Amino acid sequence: MKFGTIARGLAAGAAALAFAVSAQAADKTIKIGVIYDYTGPLAGGGSELQARGAKIMIDYINAQGGVEGYKIEPIYADAQSKPDVAINEAVRLIEQENVDMLLGFYSSAQCVPVAARVEQLKKFMWITTCISPAVLRDRNLKYVFRPQVHGGMFGTSSTDFLAAYSKEKLGIEPSDLKVAIIHEDGPYGSGVAAGNEVGSKQQGFEIVLKEGYATTAPDLSSLVTKLKRARPDVILHTGYNPDISLFLRQAQEQGLRFRALIGHGAGYGVPDKLYEALGDAANYIFNVDPVAIWLLDPASLAPGLGDVTEMVGREYAKAVGTPDMDPKRISAHVGMAASNAHVFFTDVLPRAIRDHGGISADALRAAALETDIPVGGTLLGFGVKFPEPGGAMDGQNTEAFPVVVQYVDRDIKVAWPKALQTIDPVLPLPDSSPYAK
Amino acid sequence: MGRIDTRVWLIVIAAGLFVCLAYVPAIIREGDLGFAVSDVFLYEAMINGLLLGGVLALLSLGLNLIFGVVDVVWICYAEIVMLGMYGIYYLHSFYGVPLLIAMPAGILLTAIIGYAVHELVIRHLLDSAPINQLLATGGLLFFFQSVATLAFGIDFRNLGVSLGSFPLTEDIYISWSRLAAFIVAAACVAGLYLFLTRTFMGTAIRAISQDREIMTLMGAAQGRLYLISSAIGGGLAGLAACLLVLQYDVHPFVGLSFGPITFMICVLGGLGNMVGGFIAAFILSELIALGGYHFDLEWGYVFAFAFFIAMMFVRPEGIMGRRS
Repeated sequence: MKFGTIARGLAAGAAALAFAVSAQAADKTIKIGVIYDYTGPLAGGGSELQARGAKIMIDYINAQGGVEGYKIEPIYADAQSKPDVAINEAVRLIEQENVDMLLGFYSSAQCVPVAARVEQLKKFMWITTCISPAVLRDRNLKYVFRPQVHGGMFGTSSTDFLAAYSKEKLGIEPSDLKVAIIHEDGPYGSGVAAGNEVGSKQQGFEIVLKEGYATTAPDLSSLVTKLKRARPDVILHTGYNPDISLFLRQAQEQGLRFRALIGHGAGYGVPDKLYEALGDAANYIFNVDPVAIWLLDPASLAPGLGDVTEMVGREYAKAVGTPDMDPKRISAHVGMAASNAHVFFTDVLPRAIRDHGGISADALRAAALETDIPVGGTLLGFGVKFPEPGGAMDGQNTEAFPVVVQYVDRDIKVAWPKALQTIDPVLPLPDSSPYAK
Repeated sequence: MGRIDTRVWLIVIAAGLFVCLAYVPAIIREGDLGFAVSDVFLYEAMINGLLLGGVLALLSLGLNLIFGVVDVVWICYAEIVMLGMYGIYYLHSFYGVPLLIAMPAGILLTAIIGYAVHELVIRHLLDSAPINQLLATGGLLFFFQSVATLAFGIDFRNLGVSLGSFPLTEDIYISWSRLAAFIVAAACVAGLYLFLTRTFMGTAIRAISQDREIMTLMGAAQGRLYLISSAIGGGLAGLAACLLVLQYDVHPFVGLSFGPITFMICVLGGLGNMVGGFIAAFILSELIALGGYHFDLEWGYVFAFAFFIAMMFVRPEGIMGRRS
C-alpha cells in the first residue's frame, strides 16, 4: 500500500513534470533498436510473441505521451534466428541508425555475443527475454541490464518444486529421487541444465542422465533409449519447439515412462503447440517460466498495473485477429516482454532523464542501478533490483523468480510457488497419460 | 574385378566397425561381455538406427535419381520435402481432406514442383559450369524457405496424427511411421531398380545419364527424359514428406535438419547410385544411433561425419560409385 502511494505520487509528479517540459521538448526522441526474431525457427518458438509484447508496450507508452517529453522511436529489426545476423543488426542499428539503445533479444545464443559487442560500443542494452547466465556471468558488463529471470533460477525452481513434493506426492525421499536432465546444447539449454544440476545436488537427487543435443537433430531415439535404460522418475527438459515435439513423440512411441516431466520455457511455454502436436498426451506437463501475466491476481500487484496487464491482453488479442480471446490462454511470452519493457519505460528511463541528465548510456546505467522495485511492482509480479557492480552477475535482476505451471486440459495452472498456486499440482502423472509409469 | 574386391573389403570393414562400436564401449564400461551382449537397450538402439536409416534412405532416393540422370545436385531437395509436408498439413488439418487423399495429393504437388524446377531453372543451366548449377539450386533453397515463411508464417505446425507403435518385446517398441518409412524406402529402391532396368523408359533414362550428347544424336528426347526424372524425383520428395509429416513439426526451416545429411548420404553412396545411397543411409544411421547410445548424442554425428570424411579420402567416388 505504501509502495502504491509512493508510486502514485511519483507518477503524478512525473506526469506534471513531463507536461511542464513537453512544451519545449515535444520533438525530443529516444531511438530504440528493438531486436527479436521474425523469421527462422525461433520466431515460432516464442520470439515473435515476445516482439509483439514489446511493441504493444512501446505503442502504449507513446500513446500516453511518451516519457518525460521524449517520444519513443522504435526501429524494429529481425535477427532471423541467427546469432551472426543479431550482431550485424545490433551494430547496424547503433552505427548507421544511430539508436540510443537496444531492447529485446529472445535467444541466448544471440545475447551472449551481442551483449559483448554492444558493451564495446558503449551503448545501453535492456534484455527482456534471453535467460542464459552466460550473458552476464563474470563479464562485469557496464551497460547491459536484464530484468528477466536467469537460467540458473529456472533450473533450481524445478528442483525446489520437486523437493517440496517428492515425498508427499511421489512417495519418494528426495535423496532417492532419480532425475534426468536433457537440454538443447546452446547457451540457453546448457544454462538451465547447469541450474538443474546445482539444484539436484543441493536437494540430494540422483542424476541418472544429463545430456545435451542439437535442436536440429533429425532423430532423438537414442536419447529416448538411454532414458529408458536410466529409468528416471522425473525428466527435466529444456528445448526449443521442434525438438520438444520430436522428443515427446519419439518418447511416446518408444514407450518411455516417467512420473513427471518439467519443461523450462521456450517451446514448453507455448502449450497450444504442445497440444497440437501431442493431443492430450501434453496434459500434466509442467513448465518453468515467468508467469503469464494474466494468471496473476491484480490485487497482488501495485495499483494500476492490473489495468496495464489487461491492456496488453486486449491489444494482443486485437493484433492477432481474435478480439474476444480469453487472456488466460495467451502465451506467457507476450507478457514477459511487455512487463520487462514496462519496467524500463516507467522506472529506468524517466529517472535517467530526470536525475541523470538524459538518455546517454551512462545516464541509463546510473538510473538502472538505482532501480528498486519491490515484489508486486511489475506486471510479472516480481521485484527489480540490480546488484552492486563488481559481482559475478552484474546487470542481472536479483529479485526475479519464475513460477512452475502445469497444463491441465488445455488450461494453464500455477503449481509453484505455493503463494501463487491456482492448482494442487497433479503428481505423479495419472494413468490417463501415455507416459505414466 | 579389382573394384568388386574393394567393395567386399569395405563391407567387411564396415561390419567390423559396426560390431566394435556396438559392443566395445559397453564392455569397457561394464567390464562384462555377457552384459554387453544381452543389453536389450543396445538392440533397441540398433533398431532405432535401422529405422532412421529407412527415413534417410527415402530422402536420398529422389536426390540421387535426379543427380544420376540430370547430373545436377539439387541443394534445395529437402525444401521440396518441406513444401510437400505443408501441402499435406494444409489439406488435412485445414481443409479436412482425409490423409489417404492428402498424401497422394502431396506427392503430386512435389512432382509438379520437381517438374517446374527443372523446366524453369535447371533446363537453362544444363551447359553451365557445375558451380553455377549448385548456386542456382542453393538460391532455390532460400527462395523456398522465404516463400514458405511468407505464405505459411513462422508457426510450427503439427498434423497431430501419430500412427503409434507396437511392442516387439517387453522393452522395445517399434514406431509404425518409422517402420513404414523403412518399408517404403526399400520398396522404392526395388521399384526404381525395376523401372530403370526393365522398362523402355528406364533404359532410355539410364542411357541418357551415361552420355547426354550421343543419346540426343540417336534420337532420344533428352528434355522429356529429364523432365520425367525430375518429376519422379520431386514425387519421391513428396513420398518422404508423407512419412516425415507424421513425425516432425512442419516449419519453413525443417529442411535444415535433413538437407545436409541427405546430401552426405548421396555422396557417400556414390552420387547418382541408388543402391549405394541406400547402403550409405544405413551405415550413417547406425553410426548415429550407436554412437549416440554409448556416448552423448552428438557423438553419433561426430562418428558419422568422421567416417564420411575418412571415406572421402579412401573412396572419393563413393561406396558404389563409378570411378570416372
